[in-house]
Order: sequence, then C-alpha cells, then structure tokens
Amino acid sequence: MAIIEEPLALPSGDEALASNPLGVFSRPRNATGLKDWLTTVDHKKIGIMYGMAAMFFLLIGGAAALAIRVQLATPNSNFLSADQYNRIFTMHGTVMVFLVVMPIGAAFANFLMPLQVGARDVAFPRINAFSFWVFFFGGVMLNTSWFLGGGANGGWFNYAPNNGITYSPSTGIDFWNVGLLIAGIGSLTGAINLITTVINMRAPGMSLMKMPVFVWMTLVTQFLLLFAIPVLTVAQILLLMDRVFDANFFNVAQGSDPLLWQHLFWIFGHPEVYLMILPAFGIISEVIPTFARKPIFGYPFMVFSGIAIGFMGWGVWAHHMFVSGLGPLSVTAFSVATMFIAVPTGVKILNWIATMWGGKLTLNTAMLFSIGLVTQFTIGGLSGVSHAIAPSDTQQTDTYYIVAHFHYVLFGGALFGFMAGFYFWWPKAFGYKMGEKMGLWNFWLMVVGFNLTFGPMHILGLQGMPRRMQTYDEAMGFAFWNLVATIGSFILAVGTMLVLVNAYASHRKWKAAGRPDVGPDPWDGRTIEWSIQSPSPEHNFDVDPQVSSLDDWWHRKYAEDEHGHLRRVATAEELAQPGNGEGVHLPAPSYWPILLAFSLPIIGYGLIFTLWLCIPGAFLLVASMYGWSLEPADDLDIPHDHGHDDHQPVGAGV
Amino acid sequence: MTDLAEHVSEEAHGDHHDDDHGHHSSLGLSNMKLAMWLFLGSECLLFGALISSYLILKTRFLTELLAGNPDVIAGIDNPELVQEFIAEGSVEPLWDIPFTSLSSFILLMSSLCMVLAHKATEEGDYKNQRIWLATTAILGSTFIGGQIYEFTTFFAEGLTFDGSIFGSAFYTLTGFHGVHVTGGIIMLVSLLFLSLRGKLQADRSETVELVGLYWHFVDVVWVLIFTIVYLIP
Amino acid sequence: MTDATIEHAEDMHDDHGHNDHAHDDHGAHPTEKQYWVVFVILAILTAVEVAWSYLGLHGAALVVPLIVMMVVKFFLVAGVFMHLYFDTKILHGRVFWWTFAAATTLALLVYFIVFASFDQVF
Repeated sequence: MAIIEEPLALPSGDEALASNPLGVFSRPRNATGLKDWLTTVDHKKIGIMYGMAAMFFLLIGGAAALAIRVQLATPNSNFLSADQYNRIFTMHGTVMVFLVVMPIGAAFANFLMPLQVGARDVAFPRINAFSFWVFFFGGVMLNTSWFLGGGANGGWFNYAPNNGITYSPSTGIDFWNVGLLIAGIGSLTGAINLITTVINMRAPGMSLMKMPVFVWMTLVTQFLLLFAIPVLTVAQILLLMDRVFDANFFNVAQGSDPLLWQHLFWIFGHPEVYLMILPAFGIISEVIPTFARKPIFGYPFMVFSGIAIGFMGWGVWAHHMFVSGLGPLSVTAFSVATMFIAVPTGVKILNWIATMWGGKLTLNTAMLFSIGLVTQFTIGGLSGVSHAIAPSDTQQTDTYYIVAHFHYVLFGGALFGFMAGFYFWWPKAFGYKMGEKMGLWNFWLMVVGFNLTFGPMHILGLQGMPRRMQTYDEAMGFAFWNLVATIGSFILAVGTMLVLVNAYASHRKWKAAGRPDVGPDPWDGRTIEWSIQSPSPEHNFDVDPQVSSLDDWWHRKYAEDEHGHLRRVATAEELAQPGNGEGVHLPAPSYWPILLAFSLPIIGYGLIFTLWLCIPGAFLLVASMYGWSLEPADDLDIPHDHGHDDHQPVGAGV
Repeated sequence: MTDLAEHVSEEAHGDHHDDDHGHHSSLGLSNMKLAMWLFLGSECLLFGALISSYLILKTRFLTELLAGNPDVIAGIDNPELVQEFIAEGSVEPLWDIPFTSLSSFILLMSSLCMVLAHKATEEGDYKNQRIWLATTAILGSTFIGGQIYEFTTFFAEGLTFDGSIFGSAFYTLTGFHGVHVTGGIIMLVSLLFLSLRGKLQADRSETVELVGLYWHFVDVVWVLIFTIVYLIP
Repeated sequence: MTDATIEHAEDMHDDHGHNDHAHDDHGAHPTEKQYWVVFVILAILTAVEVAWSYLGLHGAALVVPLIVMMVVKFFLVAGVFMHLYFDTKILHGRVFWWTFAAATTLALLVYFIVFASFDQVF
C-alpha cells in the first residue's frame, strides 16, 4: 500500500479539473486578496473573520452603550428622545449578545478547536464558511434597520404582546426577528459542524479525557446551541407569522397567552447565557495553567462541572419569569434549581484558584485578564445567586441590579476571558505578540472603567431605579451614581479600544523590525496547537500529531528526572513541526457558501417589505443549494478513487 | 526525490491510522451521518416547541370559546362549526379522521419504500433502487396533496389562518411539517436523477441512507402529530 | 487509497470511514423481510389507534392507550427504519442513539414543564 501507483495531486493539475455539472464556475483556486477571504473554507481564516466581524459589531454596540450612558448621566436629560432611547438600548443588547459575544466565542471555537484536537480543518469546511456568512449577513441585515425605519424597540427579549404589530408598528422588530432568524441558522449549522469535528476528528490517541478544557467547553457550548437555537427559531417564526401574515399566536384579544413567548424565549435564553460564558471559561482554563506553570487543578471536575452547567442550564429558565405569576410550585422548583447551578460554577472558580495556588505566576496581560474574569465573574455569580431567592428577585426584577449582574458575568466574565484569549493566541494567529505595556494599560483601564460603570448599578438597582428608564428626576436620588457610571463607561470604552490600537501598533512595530519569528511556542504552552509554527501554516499539521496524554505538548518538552523533579528535555524549536506540508491536500475554496448565505437576507427583506423579493431570493437559494451539492468536493482529488463529483450527497447543504 | 520519500512515509503513517479507525476519525463514524443525527436532534426541539405551542393555544382557544368570548367566536368563520365545537367541547368536529388516517398510512408506507430503496442501493440493485425512490417520492407527494386538500376543506369550513389562535397554530404546525416533507421530496427527486445518471452506486448508499434518515424523521413527527393533534381530543 | 493522511477534510471526505462503516453495518442492517414485518405492525397499530378513537371512550382510557401506541410506533420507526437498534451494534454507533435520546428527553422534559405552568392544559 505504500507504493504510489498514480501521481498525487498535481499543483497545476489542469487535466485534473472537474467538469462543471451545471456549467457553473469552477472552484476558485489560488485566490488572493479579497476573493480569497470571500471564498475561503479555511477554519483559521473563518475564525479570524468571526473575530473581525464581532469587533465591527462591538463598535456599533459600544456606541449605543455610550449613548445610553450620556443620556443617563444627568437628570431630566434630553440627549435622546424616549423612542430613540428604546431603540438604542434594544439594539445595544441584541447586538452585544448575538453579534459580539456569541461570534467571539465562535471565533475562538473555529480558530482554535481544530488546532487543539490536531485536525487540519473542521468536518465540513464549506458549511463552516456558510455559517460565518449567514451570521454576518444576518447581523448586517439587523443593523440596516438603523437606516430603514429605526432599530427594534422592545428590549432584547422583545416580550409579547408588546412585540406585536399593534404596539410596535415600525419595522424595527421585524428586522430583529428576521435578522436573528438568519443568524440562528448560522449558529445551528456551526454547532453541527463543530460537534462533528470534536467527536470524530480528534488526533490519534486523543481520547475524550485528554482533550483540552477549551475543547470540552466548545463541545458543551455547541450542544447548547444545537438544542437552544431551534426553540428561539420557533418563537421567532410564530412572531413572524403574527407580524407578517396576521396570525394570532400572541394576540391576547383572541385568547392567547403572552407567557408562551416568555417561556419559549427563556428556554432558549438561559442556555444562551451559559453558551456565552463557557467559551471564556475554556479560554482561561488554558491561560491560567500556562502562566501558573502548573497543570489545571482537577481536570475531571473542570470537565464535568462544564457538562453539569450544560445540563442544568436547561432547568432554570423560569427564574427570569418570577414576577409573571407562575405559581408557587414553579417558583420554588426554579429557585432551587437556580441555587444548584451555582455549585458547578463554584467548582470551576475553586479550580482556577487552586491552579494558581503555589504556581510560579507570570502576571502578563493574558493572565491578568484571566484573573479579572475569575474575580469579576465571582461578583456577578454572587449577585446571580441572589436572584435565586424568589422574594428578593421580585424586588430586583427589571431594576439596575439585574443590569449590573449580567454585565458582571457577560462583560466582566465573557469579554475579559476573550481578551485573555486574544493576547494569548495572537502570536499563533498572526505571528507576533501584542505589546505588553499597552496590554497592561488595556487591562487596568478596563478593570477600573468596568467596575466604575457597573459597580454603582448595584446600588442604583437597590435604590429602585428601573432598567430601561429613559430619564429620571433629580429628586429620585439617582444622579450621583449615574454620573459615576457614565464616567466609568468612557474609561471602559477607551480601555476596550486599546486592544485594537495595541494590535495595530504591535503589528507596525513587528513589520518595522523585519517580521522576526516569534517561534512556535512563545509562552511555553501546554497543548498541541503550540507544536506548530506561528502563525499556523495553512495546513495546520504536517503530520497527524500522536497524542498520549493531557497537555501532550508540555509532556513532550518536560519529563521527570531521577529525583522526581520536572526537567526540560527538549526545546519547542526541536520538537515543533517545521510547517512544510508539501503534498498536504486542503479543501478548495468555494463560492457557494457566501452565495447561499446571501440568498437569506434577500428573502428576509422580502418578508419585511414586499413578498415579491422572496422570489429572486428563493431562486438564488435553490440554485446555490444545487450548485453546492453538485460541486465536486475537491477538484484535485477527483481522479483518485471514485467517479466524478461523487463526494457530495444531495441535501448536504440543507 | 525527497518529496516522494516523504509521501511514502506519510502513506505508511496514514495506513496505520486506517487500521485503527479510519484516519482522523476518532470514533470511526461517518461525519455526514453524525451531522444528520445532530440536525435531527435539533429538529426534535423545533417540533417539540411547535407541538406544545399548538396544544397550549388550542386549549386556550377552547377555554375562551366555552367561556363565550365574542372575539374568539367571531374568529371562526362559520357559526355552525362554532356551535359544534361548543357542543363537543373540543375541535373534533373539524377533523376528517378516515381521510387523515389514510394519508398517515400513505406516509408510513413511504417510509417502508425508503428503507427498501436504501437496501437496494446497498445491494447494487439499481432497478429496484429507482423504483423505490420514485415510489417514495410519489407517496410523499400524495401526502402533500392530501394536506393541501385538507387545508382547503378546513378553510372552506371556516377555519382561517388569521382568524383564531387555533387556526394559526394548526396551520403553522402542520404546514411546517408539510414544508419538511416537501424538502424531502425534492431530495428524493434529486437522488432519482443522480441514479439515472449512474451516480448513485452502492459505494454511495450512505447518501440514500442520509436522505432516508431525514425522511423517517419527518414520518416519525407525523406519527406524533397524528395522535396528538387528530386522535386525542 | 492514495494520500490517506494528506487527503483532507471536505464535506464528504471520509471515504474510508464510510466504506468501512458500510461493510460494518452491512450485516447488522435488518433484512427486507424485517422491514416488511415492521411496516405491517405499524399499519396495524395505526388502524388500532384510529379504531380506539372511535370507541367513544373518555379521559385516561382513551388517551393512555393512544399515547402508548404512538410511542411504540415512534420507537419502531426510529429503531428499525432509522437503524438505531442496529447502529448501536457497530463500534461507537451508540453516539447516534445518545444524540437522539438526549434531544427527545430534553424536549419532553422542557415542554412538559411549560405545560405544567399553563394550568389550563392539565
């Protein structure tokens, strides 16, 4: 079998080009520049695009946040009208949840997970590209509502019946609805793809309990998405039917019960909050052991607490609905469940602290952001547990206390974790480290700004300031802490922007220095993504890595001497794969993912403005599906074993 | 020819993996089949939400109807039907059980044809493969035809989509299922074309199996809908 | 079977896995006769279900047998037509079963709780 009987894939291989079954264009090869990015199926480029798109949406969501803070800085302010204010806080929440935090999680999952499991790509590279483009077009479509009649104005959870056409006649909620439906398709296909990759494409020897914690958290996150997204989809389809086709799902006059929306939304919504935070948990579970120079404390507990969070996240949704009149039995049950879910989270916090305990800590930016997560998430977690006490929650519902709580877990938790991830894996993605000095400014400005902004909101909430209130009177006594929060928010904005400035400045410095090689393993890392060159070569691994233990890469570099002390036995440079993957065969780029994704917003605009537009949209959809299905999976591989275009079953694009 | 040497060594390496599980495939399962099962798992939650929304709204509808809510009564475009609903205390008078039973039976039968098509593909019996694929598609289309007939009948009897919560929920649930069946029919027809062009050989029987998985799932959903929506009052 | 390592992830790239697997479960899949038997059982169950709904029973006597028959039909289709019973016999094929079981159980539990909180339903 070791004898090659026919030539391998030819680099120029024109005669190997497949026929085009429908007379459509061939797969783009050797694409460069923009075309390369538009047609790529490389999981690393897709991950980077997720990150860039999320940063773009972060600017929009951040600008909305600052507008809110300016409006609330002083009593009786008229900076924004009530209607503008409603639209801006709704879009702030929606953009931040669906278009910033979720996609940054997807960015890390896409970029990192295949590297950490030792795969050359995800299971379905074209579907991966499709997932990104669908998310991106959905997000852009949602944001075009700013120019087409104003954004949504019903709050990010858009409660019925306020979301109906009677109470919200403008198209804002239609954009919210359709844009998120489209983005949801991307999340669903992404989840299927990433789960398949983790389950089926790990490197030889990597059993489930040898997977890095980040991969575990990705797996749990994607399962949450897989099962939560369809519930939101149904809620949104019912709303779509109501708003576009005059159905009565949330029509109280016809006897409907608006609680149906709340249930469906929060059955999705609570798993949603865990799927936003778990990737960040995974990230810092990689960063902390590296910079504490100790293995993660209690790896199995780390894994099983993540799984437990994934399961229990399904049993607590009604704690968002304690004031909706659920009845004492439901309230009690959900209170207890909510208290219990603090246990696995507490286990994780304990494990991170125990990992750092007695370690040789390197307090660089990535590590500081990780410690920031542990600290601030603990505060957010504690205020979260206080919501489990139903009588107390009844007081806090819809006050700034809630706002403080979820910003502590989502900003102080998830986003700080993502920042740690950016600093940690930046060299792997781009070949240079971000500057430490500006990194420290970045971290400390964010910590100070963050706590100044959201710390006072606990007090405001307990004083009784309702969330979503457009303005307040001086006599209410909210002025001082609101002003503090506004000042904090600007410090926070500057601090957050520094990560972009740092990336740019460090890149310039690196280029001016002649692009010095950062080496495969700049942090003395533990997992196998550090065993390849930085930036990672297009084909990832020259040969399939053989994994024999948890933190496999670390154990190849270090071994115990006769006294039982850990000693370095090899340098990273000696062990790393050289990155010359000649003959490695990568999937060819494709036009179809972006075209298929593009058909969805056309249908979306059709649903909102005129159904006629759905016809060209549907035509493009069907045509792209057939083009996709009949496209040879890979031009170069064709002559080898089967007949033509035999790789792709019909319906794989569905 | 260092290049060649490297290929050869990689060959050996790769074969070694094949011996354990198939390269890079930690569980040795087919990616496509795993993905299809994950998709179907997600669909369970989707149809679960639709079915439960239907049940909740139907119950609310009947409660309001029996309580004499005038808006709800006006939502049904047929006073006689309203009287029958109230007399029975259920929406049963609307159903045509023999007809729906027949279309349920047709859909069940199409599932049988689907597995036989898969079986024939595995065995390389392409004549039977085409026969069974075509039969499955035809039975599925018959089911859809039946659903269109049922919708028009119900509409004519006064159950409109935009009149009542019951109408909205019923048409959305069964319509969603109908859209899934239609998607399945399109896939079946595509398979049939592939087969006629000689591109659906035994080595690709998994493609037929995947479409089959989807088709059976849609059938299973109808098993649930038939009992829950039609038979249980 | 040229470049085995090199050949790469593309949507349907796992030819080897797929071929092996096709051999694996070739013997495991049910026979044509078994398919027909299952179909006949399904048809009979459907007929009994319909007949049962015409008996004029009320409450649990009507609903419980219908639900039981529905569940049996569900498992017959999933188990035999969708090969779940047979796939569990191939190596790791249980993953399919676990995915499906997790999804259905989750859907049942979650939506049951929703019903329970709408007191008109029960």
